[in-house]
Amino acid sequence: MLEILNQEPIRFILAFGATIFLVLNLAAILTMAERKVAGYIQMRYGPNRVGPRGLLQPAADVFKLFTKENLAPTKADLWTFLIAPIAMFLPAALVWIVIPFAPGAVIADLNVAIVFFLAITSISSLGIIMAGYGSRSNFSLLGALRGAAQIVSYEVPMILSLLGVIMLTGSLSLVDMVSNQAGGFWNWHFISQFPMFLVFYIAGLAEVQRVPFDLAEGESEIVGGFQIEYSGMTWGLIQAAEFAAMGVISAVAATVFLGGWQPPLPFLDLGQFNFIWLGLKVSLIIFTFQLIRWSLPRFRMDQLMDLGWKILVPICVAWIFVTAAAMLVF
Amino acid sequence: MLSEEHVKGETALSGRASARLTAPDVRTEFGLETLDMNMGPQHPAMHGLLRLVLELDGETVVRCDPIMGYLHRCQEKIAENRMYPAVIPLTDRLDYFANMHMEHGYVLAVEDMLDVEIPPRAEAIRVLMCELMRIASHTPSIGFLMLELGAFTPILYSFRERERIQTIFEAVTGARMMFHYIRLGGVKADLPPDIPEKIWEYIEDLESNFQRDFVDLIEGNEIFIARTRGVGRITPEKALEMGLTGPPLRCTGVDMDLRRDYPYSWYPNVDFDVITDEGGDVEASYRVRIKEILQSIRIIKQVLENLPEGEVMADMGRRIRPAEGEGFGRVESPRGEFAVHVVSDGSDTPYRVHYRDPSFVNMQLLQEIIPGHYLPDIMPIMGLIDPVSGGWDK
Amino acid sequence: MAIRLPEGDLETRLERYQEGLRAHGNIEEYETKGNTVQVTTAPGEVPAVLAAAREELNILHLSFITVVDRQGSFELTYELLDLRGGRVRVKTTVEGEEPVISTATHVYPTANWHEREAYDMFGMAFAGHPDLRRPYMWQDHFDHHPLLKSFEISTKRTFEGLR
Repeated sequence: MLEILNQEPIRFILAFGATIFLVLNLAAILTMAERKVAGYIQMRYGPNRVGPRGLLQPAADVFKLFTKENLAPTKADLWTFLIAPIAMFLPAALVWIVIPFAPGAVIADLNVAIVFFLAITSISSLGIIMAGYGSRSNFSLLGALRGAAQIVSYEVPMILSLLGVIMLTGSLSLVDMVSNQAGGFWNWHFISQFPMFLVFYIAGLAEVQRVPFDLAEGESEIVGGFQIEYSGMTWGLIQAAEFAAMGVISAVAATVFLGGWQPPLPFLDLGQFNFIWLGLKVSLIIFTFQLIRWSLPRFRMDQLMDLGWKILVPICVAWIFVTAAAMLVF
Repeated sequence: MLSEEHVKGETALSGRASARLTAPDVRTEFGLETLDMNMGPQHPAMHGLLRLVLELDGETVVRCDPIMGYLHRCQEKIAENRMYPAVIPLTDRLDYFANMHMEHGYVLAVEDMLDVEIPPRAEAIRVLMCELMRIASHTPSIGFLMLELGAFTPILYSFRERERIQTIFEAVTGARMMFHYIRLGGVKADLPPDIPEKIWEYIEDLESNFQRDFVDLIEGNEIFIARTRGVGRITPEKALEMGLTGPPLRCTGVDMDLRRDYPYSWYPNVDFDVITDEGGDVEASYRVRIKEILQSIRIIKQVLENLPEGEVMADMGRRIRPAEGEGFGRVESPRGEFAVHVVSDGSDTPYRVHYRDPSFVNMQLLQEIIPGHYLPDIMPIMGLIDPVSGGWDK
Repeated sequence: MAIRLPEGDLETRLERYQEGLRAHGNIEEYETKGNTVQVTTAPGEVPAVLAAAREELNILHLSFITVVDRQGSFELTYELLDLRGGRVRVKTTVEGEEPVISTATHVYPTANWHEREAYDMFGMAFAGHPDLRRPYMWQDHFDHHPLLKSFEISTKRTFEGLR
């Protein structure tokens, strides 16, 4: 019986279904976590009314969003307007296909997983442009253009920051990268590639458009930017996409730089349950994202571009040379 | 001194944005158009109901036209139809972040005509309340500025301070926002016996938390500096030409404070510094506000230490009928000079009341300095001026 | 810093202001009371008097412009501060139902919005004003000037429709 489940098309469909389920839940859990972290930073409690300690709040929110009407502006380009949230959400869900959760537990062990990840995440900028253009609103258009410009220019440092690890591993597969970091935390890539890890972290923040890089949203000047005209579940899907993207970036960062499912010390190996380590690492990165979200102001567009092109890219290029030299010497 | 250039004003533009505006016109060459945009009156970060008609060239603002009147109640007309004491509750609704100062300004103007001796204890209590109000107004100003820059947390810290001061006000006046406490001839009631102690306790609490919550969290932050330094820079000449007062004037380096230069009420008896800063930009205005809070704490301590005993209300009689003439009142509200001009014709009601509100006058700066800045810089510049809707719309 | 704020004794300064204003404009009445120099002048003289105050006497701050409707004439008060304790008040009276006075914006640019407000509330026209639009009331559909004494508010009328 279980043998049938492990047959190729069936296994893939089941696993992908499970992933979508996981991503949707992840978005809900992260919403909750975000609000709790915000609450504690701001010396208040956060949601604490629905369910035990407010834990059922996301369920109530989703229920509320489903009962709300989906409004669209009269002059909106309706198809573009409605497809945009899906175009934002799907990439965030698809990347999970290549993330190894535990030894042997990966939905598709692509030998070009990194390229897959980069290709898929850049689709989300398409979603933002569609949302901004389809809404026919000045604020949306500004937000969409900002978001697209930002994602496109932060792709560059992100790709460059992954090159060091690719050189060390000699492979584009995430499974190979994880196995390359076996044997304790001193073997993890973030030690030898620390500047690259920082660049990936910052570029990742920009990629998922969170404070201090949430220019496309720009709550205080362009009032939500590309999502200003959305309501009900279409808006909910955009939110879910943002949180899922945050999860994806954290998972990739954990896999590439923090050893993926590898335990920090060899004797802590949990076998098939090593996904717990991956979960812990992802949670840690997301937690730092949230701390940053609630304590920093936002960059301006020109400053954002300065940071990307004048600081992050040179750091990456320099460290690629350092890595190459070190590989020649040792 | 007053050349044509001066009148038009040399706008302090931030580096690249100005280069872009002065560059040969690319727009006509490529047949591009500017984007007209309405910001407000319903905008989550706008200070009250203000509409800015913007013309954008990409992210650069080419033209900015503030349009107001969305909260206009014609307070001056209403005041003409009310008896003198009945105007005080209306003044509460002017600048609803500094109600005490509004009451104080109007009351000073009417007392100017009445020639009445205010008991010293009442004067001291007025100053005490006004300085508490200044703290309760400056802390949210800083919080709003940070909110406009995209940081959400400081505003909650600042509203915690305002909330605690409002609790004190509630105990003293019976109301949290619309106090109607400063009356013609004194104040409504004496301080409850335990209040001086509570204020003292609160002030010390604020002092101990101040560095952590308002300075360390904000001041050294690289992004904060990048977003505010040089943004909305005004020269002192420009500031005086535009009639700025209060923190926007003092942050350019002009050493002027009505509490010192045109002393009123109990202020001659207290010792404080006038805070100035040379920057003239948003960051400087933030620093001025931070330091003014500390000066307010200093004033409050001095007043509490030397609180005179005695009555809190002069004998005014039942009907207040100033002789024909006019009276002027002028106070330093947290936003600048709040002046009241009352004209009497000898009857029960004022013949004419004119409010000079700092928000209204300072906001002229918007159409002068916003062109040439980027769109996201509009909000910090609003934070520099920090206008209040009830103030500019009267 | 290019700004020179006045210095020295308040009384000598007030005397200087009074003499300076008399030298530059056709002053009808003048009076010094407390820290205030109050001068009354003809409407046509106002820009000259203000220019003298700003350029010769270095009084840099225009605090406000008040208009008072005296039913048949309008009384204008320009309140100037030297920012160091002295006040100068320039008063003038404009006759007529549709008053016109020349603008002060080229002397004190801050007068811009003060004059717009006066125009909105009293229909007082300021000749030479760069941008005389109504700040508060509707630009197109409202022909009244609410602070005129002839504009009556009627509480009764307000509540009639609601009952």
